[in-house]
Amino acid sequence: MQTRWDVGEPHKPTINTSTEQLKSDLLTLNMGPQHPATHGVLRIEIWTDSEIVAHAIPHIGYLHRCMEKHCENLDFRGVIPFVDRLDYLASMNMEWTYAMTIEKMLGTEVPRRAELLRILTCELQRIASHLMAFGTYAIDLGAFSPFLYAFDYREKILRLFEEVSGARLLYNYIWIGGLWNDWSPEQISRVTAFCDDMEEEAKKYHELLSMNKIFIARTAHVGVMSVQDCIDFGATGPILRGAGMKWDLRKNEPYSLYSEFDFDVPVGTGEVGEPGDCWNRYIVRMREVVESIKIIRQVIEKLEPGSIMGKVPKVMKLPEGEVYFRSECPRGELAFHLVTKQDSKEPFRLKVRSPCFTHTSMLPRVAPGQMIADFVATVGSIDIVLGEIDR
Amino acid sequence: MNTQVHHTSSVKEYFGGLWDGIYSSLKGMWITFRYVWAVAPVSIEYPEVREVLPERARMRLFNDALNCISCTQCAMACPVDCIYIASEKLPEGSEIKKTSNGQAIRLHLTQFTIDTALCCYCGLCTTVCPTECLTHSHDYEFSAYTIDSMKYDYLAPDIVAWRDRIVKA
Amino acid sequence: MHKELSDLINRNVSGANAVAYLTADAKKFDSSITVETSHIYKVVEFLKTNKTTSFNSLHCISGVDYTDYMEVCYMLTNYDPSAVRNLTLKVRVTDRVNAAIDSVVGQFVSADFLEREVYDMFGIKFNNHPDMRRILCPDDWEGFPLRKDYVAQKDYNGMTVYPDNKMNMEDREFIVRQNMIKKAQAEKAQ
Repeated sequence: MQTRWDVGEPHKPTINTSTEQLKSDLLTLNMGPQHPATHGVLRIEIWTDSEIVAHAIPHIGYLHRCMEKHCENLDFRGVIPFVDRLDYLASMNMEWTYAMTIEKMLGTEVPRRAELLRILTCELQRIASHLMAFGTYAIDLGAFSPFLYAFDYREKILRLFEEVSGARLLYNYIWIGGLWNDWSPEQISRVTAFCDDMEEEAKKYHELLSMNKIFIARTAHVGVMSVQDCIDFGATGPILRGAGMKWDLRKNEPYSLYSEFDFDVPVGTGEVGEPGDCWNRYIVRMREVVESIKIIRQVIEKLEPGSIMGKVPKVMKLPEGEVYFRSECPRGELAFHLVTKQDSKEPFRLKVRSPCFTHTSMLPRVAPGQMIADFVATVGSIDIVLGEIDR
Repeated sequence: MNTQVHHTSSVKEYFGGLWDGIYSSLKGMWITFRYVWAVAPVSIEYPEVREVLPERARMRLFNDALNCISCTQCAMACPVDCIYIASEKLPEGSEIKKTSNGQAIRLHLTQFTIDTALCCYCGLCTTVCPTECLTHSHDYEFSAYTIDSMKYDYLAPDIVAWRDRIVKA
Repeated sequence: MHKELSDLINRNVSGANAVAYLTADAKKFDSSITVETSHIYKVVEFLKTNKTTSFNSLHCISGVDYTDYMEVCYMLTNYDPSAVRNLTLKVRVTDRVNAAIDSVVGQFVSADFLEREVYDMFGIKFNNHPDMRRILCPDDWEGFPLRKDYVAQKDYNGMTVYPDNKMNMEDREFIVRQNMIKKAQAEKAQ
């Protein structure tokens, strides 16, 4: 078998073998497809030199559901349930990005209340997604209880979503032109209560895991992705911010009403470890939770009664053209490249630019020279969702 | 790109690190320990205790065939094509019935089957229904042994018993 | 912006033949630049290295099949917080049988996976790519799914993957049978 990958640096064995007899072949090890540390059906072919990874080749496609081909035969509203299933941990963000892509083409004006509620739901979803990342990352590194605490709080968000939209995970809630249902004042007050609880809870998580000496030893200086690497590979989201670059589409290219809100963009500063390592990627997520709470509080202040659905034609026909629209999702920049034909009821081509896809392609760059246990920590820290990679 | 950091540490650093490790672990364990009494249990014992579902919860679909006007809008809206609906013209001179919200039933519904195994519970079919006869019920316990038994024929006689339970008068 | 950019490309890369496509409604649609297929590597190299544009990141490669030709779209971005710039660069491929263009992996490492996906879905080969394999479909899959004239294969390694009769055929047959019985009954009654 020949090396199929020559983009990364060639690995030089780190074990000093003075005698030729001690040299041994590389061992091929399959991590996955059913490996708990790969967060889904991802297979990584690892070539190991004793316990050191010489080479890692990700094999994806186990969850390929031909979503892009399906969408070419569906009307624009019918695509939304499919878009939900891309990143099933952040469905609201997926729906919103898709809805905004179509609205941009249609030129629909979304009512202010609907926009605010969209921001509210999507920031709540971001918190839920980051809590999931936090919990599963702790499991990857051998700590079980943070997972339960994170799920407790994620459950509160899911419960709210279930009351509002009717489903716990795949909502079909954000529609083209607005929202399906309105939030009642009682539900809004529960969001406020949740924000207060969550702030306290986030502090607890820092005590529990972030500043734990063992956790730091497992993650600091591990899997370093420099800013240059991130830019070369097109990495976005917490990966890029963890490397120390202040880049957030909500700030740099504000869509929707994000320019009205006051929030910070947390970056990995390297107070523990160095910028771009697993710990900094992790801490960026945890700080984003606090920033999301800030945004949600501002949304609740600004909420006014009003309509939640804009004017959208009943039979949706789009003009001919193409749009590439991107937005900031919990895992990075999600984008839709939509091509339509004149007066067609279905997309001519819908390409999904998924953040995790590019992040997976970074694994062969980081892997060489790592211990296998550190490699597991690295895979966990980029927070992969296979539904989005394989589409 | 070897990420292992090898450096020699002084005695102070060594014991400082040791203390940090023990202290932060104890802190984490204290947080975990508090859950013994300070936090109410969050899980429920499922078969005995059942959660009350929210009003909008989308569970198994139910079609009230008496109110259906066979407009096929639900089948058109369905993204996975799991609704099979067929109808034929009423014979000449037969009495035209009305639905509960006053729409005339001009077609005779001969088939209304939903393949629940295909259904993705998106709710698009219920939003387009003009008579609101197609709704999401709150039934979520309907596992079956064969995939064929996941197909629900809403014109079958035994559905009446189900209807009495779901449709609140 | 696209007009000036295409002029800039034409001045610096000879034979690139860049044509800017400007939409009437810039609020709704995106403009793009189409360049000569054989010069894609040089154009990308110019756009990346030159100081006035400096697109330093390739975010997405998307293929579109317009039946008479295929298009490969490169979404370029530069991470400059003061002046964010995005560009859609397009290349046309007319040969459907031996579709091949130059790879840009030499400039952008991110193109590795992205080009493999375009190859998987549209069958456009990328010359000089280090690892030209299928990425989402199995290696021995036939055909390229996102082409408009694609017909799915019936069998794959002894498994029926695209049956003639889908699951709902039984129900369809049931309806037909019912209708036939009813018709027969009606005829008898007459």
